[in-house]
Amino acid sequence: MRRAVIVLAALAILLFLGALMGVALGPVKLDMHQVLSAILSGEDRTAHAIVWDLRLPRVAAALVVGACLGLSGCLLQSSTRNPLGDPQLFGLGGGAAVVQALAIAGLIQIGTWALFSLSVAASLIGAGAIALCASRQGVSPARLALVGVSISALAAAAATGIMAEARIFSMQSLNFIGGSFANVGWRTVLPALPFLGLGVLLAAPVVGNLNALSLGDRVAANLGAEPGRTRAASIAAAGILGGIAVAVAGLVGFVGLLVPHLARLLVGHDFRRVLVVSIPLGAAVTLYADQAARLVFMPSEVPAGLVTALLGAPLMIYVARRVL
Amino acid sequence: MLSLEALSFVNHGTTILSSVTAVIPDHSLTCLVGPNGAGKTTLLRILSGELKATSGRLLVGETDTSLLPQRDMAHQVSIVPQDIQPPPYLTVSELVQLGRFRPYGAIWRRLSRQDRVAVNASLARCQLEALARRRVEELSGGEQQRAWLAFGLAQEKRFLLLDETLDGLDVLVKKSSFELLKEVAAEGKGVVLTTHDLDLVTQFADKVILSSGKVVYEGPPNAEWQNRVSPTQIVGWIKST
Repeated sequence: MRRAVIVLAALAILLFLGALMGVALGPVKLDMHQVLSAILSGEDRTAHAIVWDLRLPRVAAALVVGACLGLSGCLLQSSTRNPLGDPQLFGLGGGAAVVQALAIAGLIQIGTWALFSLSVAASLIGAGAIALCASRQGVSPARLALVGVSISALAAAAATGIMAEARIFSMQSLNFIGGSFANVGWRTVLPALPFLGLGVLLAAPVVGNLNALSLGDRVAANLGAEPGRTRAASIAAAGILGGIAVAVAGLVGFVGLLVPHLARLLVGHDFRRVLVVSIPLGAAVTLYADQAARLVFMPSEVPAGLVTALLGAPLMIYVARRVL
Repeated sequence: MLSLEALSFVNHGTTILSSVTAVIPDHSLTCLVGPNGAGKTTLLRILSGELKATSGRLLVGETDTSLLPQRDMAHQVSIVPQDIQPPPYLTVSELVQLGRFRPYGAIWRRLSRQDRVAVNASLARCQLEALARRRVEELSGGEQQRAWLAFGLAQEKRFLLLDETLDGLDVLVKKSSFELLKEVAAEGKGVVLTTHDLDLVTQFADKVILSSGKVVYEGPPNAEWQNRVSPTQIVGWIKST
């Protein structure tokens, strides 16, 4: 427990420093005084606009998306006993990707709230397929991952096809496929918060059961952990969180896979601690990945998803070699 | 007391159990004996609430369990199934601690003093103190069986069901495990064990249920029970195991 508290405190400091970096650094550098005055007062209109309209919402978006992906990955890995659990890899974001592609192509024109709701509803279809597959006895981790990869590939092909058909080859589509926080404003971040809250609320009652699920459904059921209900709630929550992450930033890969494994290294194997740590850890990984994406090639930038892929791909190979 | 009243179980048209009637008392070590495929595991799964009988009744005391969800049965009955794959990272101590798991517990719930006492007592009874920090996956088959036995004991429920949990142990450890189960039963628990070791059943069991899809014999392991098992049957069982 003490270890988890220390890790959480360290993550809080990291998040603060990352957020400061996200607000202060960029093509226009701001010193601490400028940042503080921009946040607290509007005297310097340029600094105020840079901080409030451009950088703070981007930092907030990275935090929200990272938290969603970290929590979603942890819920998937624990509830399906699958070390490859990841919202993108399991196809949970697939439905949301198709909805976003339809929106980018202009084929559906609705407000942000409605669009986000539709994205989450679509991602729950992928979640339903995974829940159905995972509930069968004897489904191997590799087989479950293959089902997810198939759903994911199908959805990505559909999303790309929609944008190609609509002749959308803009930065917007590139950012969506690569996963990016460029041009994200408060109007995108704020509607995502209730969905993050909904995911947390749905998962909260069953989090205590996840450790029992690690012994398999038969033993878990005998311990009173109700594996079916626990898994359904966990995967539904993971679907909501994965869907909203795609709706905000596009396909940011590997965070959901990477973060629970990192959290386990930091706080051990108790899923309750792993889950609590995965939220700020996911936020930190995504925030720093976005800082690298926007600052390394300044003034141009790359999608944050490329940075998370650079971190996540070697880990995926490691996990596949060690566990499968 | 667990009372089985004309329990039948049919799976995809195949009758696994046919009108099984038996009583499993508290304070006793009951051994469920029979050849492979005789439905012993199915019977334990019904007793644990995991499966519902196709017909008949299962009573815990005076309560009919046919409408009880498995979660409620879990308060009364613990089971150690066969062939469980623990996660690769789990240590013996962590496994036994999971025996003190409380469903839907708060995220910050920690083991109480009573839980720790139960965990340490179970580890000690199964002679696992020296192995407590080792990963279950690293242990020999017999040591793993003992770890699962400790997990079952730590739950401190009224009935403990063990599905061939002792069959992988060497002769001496198996004998001491039977003694341990006898001791646990004498403390008030109903212990049900499926096993193929007829010698130790005769030596230690308070009660034997000989099953071959239906109950062939129910009673103490006396001369009568041995007469019910012909030498040909025993040879057949040994071959089938």
